[in-house]
Amino acid sequence: MLKWLAQVGVLALVLLFFRILGGEAAKNFARSDISFGFDWLGDPPGFSIREGIDLQPNSGIRALAVGGLNTLRVAFSGIIAATILGTIIGVARLSKNFIVNKLAGFYIETIRNVPLLLQMFFWQVLLMAQSSLTEGDVGSRIFSVSNKGVASIWVFPSTGFWPWFLIFLGGVYLSRKVARKRRTYQEDTGENGHPGLFGILTLLGIALVGWLVHPLLGFLSILWDGIGDLIGAIPAATVSLLIAGAAIVAAVVWIKRFLDSKRTPAGLGKLTDDDIFRMIFAGVSALFVVWIAFKVGGAVIAKPDGTDASVAAVLRDSFANIFYWFGDKFTGEAGSPLSVSKPAIELRGTGGFVQYADTGILATVPFFSVWIAVTLYTASFIAEIIRGGILAVAKGQTEASQALGLRRGQYLRLVILPQAFRIILPPLGNQYLNLAKNTSLGTAVAFGEIVAVGATLINQTGQSLPIVIVWMAFYLILSLSLSGVVNYYNRRMALVER
Amino acid sequence: MSVANNKDVIVCEGVKKWFGDFQALKGIDAVVKEQEVVVVIGPSGSGKSTFIRCINRLEAHQEGTIIVDGIELTNDVRNIDKIRSEVGMVFQQFNLFPHLTILDNISLAPLWVRKQPRREAEEEAMALLERVGIPEQADKFPGQLSGGQQQRVAIARALAMKPKIMLFDEPTSALDPEMIKEVLDVMKELARSGMTMIVVTHEMGFAREVADRVLFFDYGLVVEEGTPAHFFDNPQHDRTKLFLSQIL
Repeated sequence: MLKWLAQVGVLALVLLFFRILGGEAAKNFARSDISFGFDWLGDPPGFSIREGIDLQPNSGIRALAVGGLNTLRVAFSGIIAATILGTIIGVARLSKNFIVNKLAGFYIETIRNVPLLLQMFFWQVLLMAQSSLTEGDVGSRIFSVSNKGVASIWVFPSTGFWPWFLIFLGGVYLSRKVARKRRTYQEDTGENGHPGLFGILTLLGIALVGWLVHPLLGFLSILWDGIGDLIGAIPAATVSLLIAGAAIVAAVVWIKRFLDSKRTPAGLGKLTDDDIFRMIFAGVSALFVVWIAFKVGGAVIAKPDGTDASVAAVLRDSFANIFYWFGDKFTGEAGSPLSVSKPAIELRGTGGFVQYADTGILATVPFFSVWIAVTLYTASFIAEIIRGGILAVAKGQTEASQALGLRRGQYLRLVILPQAFRIILPPLGNQYLNLAKNTSLGTAVAFGEIVAVGATLINQTGQSLPIVIVWMAFYLILSLSLSGVVNYYNRRMALVER
Repeated sequence: MSVANNKDVIVCEGVKKWFGDFQALKGIDAVVKEQEVVVVIGPSGSGKSTFIRCINRLEAHQEGTIIVDGIELTNDVRNIDKIRSEVGMVFQQFNLFPHLTILDNISLAPLWVRKQPRREAEEEAMALLERVGIPEQADKFPGQLSGGQQQRVAIARALAMKPKIMLFDEPTSALDPEMIKEVLDVMKELARSGMTMIVVTHEMGFAREVADRVLFFDYGLVVEEGTPAHFFDNPQHDRTKLFLSQIL
């Protein structure tokens, strides 16, 4: 009982703390004539963004979305690049070759001991010192570096991409089945069934056939549009009801499963305070979602196109729009799935303004500075994690493998790496989170990510608190998604112990 | 057991090994005949583990020659591979692969080194598990087994490669007393079946009962060598007498 009182007491203290801070802030905001709200989400922001999917966003929410997508773009490409580079450096650090080993050590020690912000400045300064584009450069290139950024040839999904991709996914499924069949054959007979070769050939074959016949899937656009129409026809009030219902069902199912997991053959086992608290928490969370669904769902906001609609209706329409978007991509007149695009340098306007055209892939100076800095920086930490993970696998494992006659490549793949991966994964996930959060430093080199865009919005609207809340919610969701993925793999890889 | 007329399968001449400045082996001469069980005893640090680890090249010797089944151990990788597939080894710390089931632990090397079909490899693995007395553990992971069971799996894993020679590096030293017997029983059965074995151990009862010959190591040298009866009842060397008086 005392334990419960103590917990409730602590909770009350925390709430009181925020109540005092919040009340004080509200008073002062009121005095300075600022009223906080979320109207700015729909209002035109009054500024343009230098890069992203929409350079002239027509609403605050759209501007933040452009910034958020820029953050995601640099974070995900950074995570992939840092993982590859970090693995190479980490393995090089273990190399017996003196030069390779020392070079990797030098890389790690210099990069990880210089603040990330300074590294971003370094790359920015270095790029801005490149020669500028002149009229003599006009024309298309494979690769180009200038003080406007780094441009390269790239492969883009083209008009026929999605129908072809659907066929390709079918090919992935089929090729896995073929490979499995060949493996069973190999295990039954002992003859080499070449499962990998057969799988790849199947996939290539289907991808090639799909390249030729994908316009046949054009009829699917009717299906996609139909689903979109169906969703669009749901009354707005029903959306709130559906969300509320889903929350309640989820909570009930969770509590039931939780109780089942505590059930022993002798009946329901004893529940600890913690168990009871978890169930109460699940129930309260569901009620909270219900409250939000009806309270916020009914609120009317201005849509970007100027009309008014309830939040629930906007939510429903954007969900339906996903299917309309797919419908658009599945028109029968689709062209080739992928197209190669070379960067071009062009003369724009009459004043002789030389710049990159919208072809190829262009990493602007801010994007490139942020991307290369977070990649190199995080790779130095990942390298140490990889090295530590491999070293942490007991030496006896190598010796046992060698004594059995396994070759180096075989025991690395079959024995050492699967065990090292378990050790590597949790700290690797931390580095991914760090990288994603560190991209917010990009605001210092004028990269239009969510913090930079939000800061400009604060300047324009004065709505500091709501925008800070949106920032925090964005990074929270991003981080939780990342760690969710990492934890999922971590659980799957866990060793069975007694 | 009479193995006097069998051919020599391991011949060591003047084997020397240094770890930095420390000389672990100071010139070992030893011969092991086919189907012979040789027990190596001696105080810790005497070089006995280093010696058997040199036989399958987990440690490289620097001087002298080691010839296993007619193949000389050199830096030639092909020779090392060949010898390792004929020499099985059991370690003090078991060294099972914790991420693989018991069955996969045993069938891993036959699958990848001998390129056996999986079904065949798994059938043989099951037969070996029967032989060491724990077929019911096939689908468990090493972490779920007791030490004695793990060491029996390790023996089965080494046997799966159908070796001609088995090396045991203090196989019972990491076990609780009540589990030692189950491992020694498996080793005795193996010895009776005619396997050539070199066993580093502190189990004097095992040496007396099973060994054809005992080698006594001290400071990197073979100090005394003989049949168990000769060795335990009538040792010649003062160092051997002192050692035996301390442990018996």
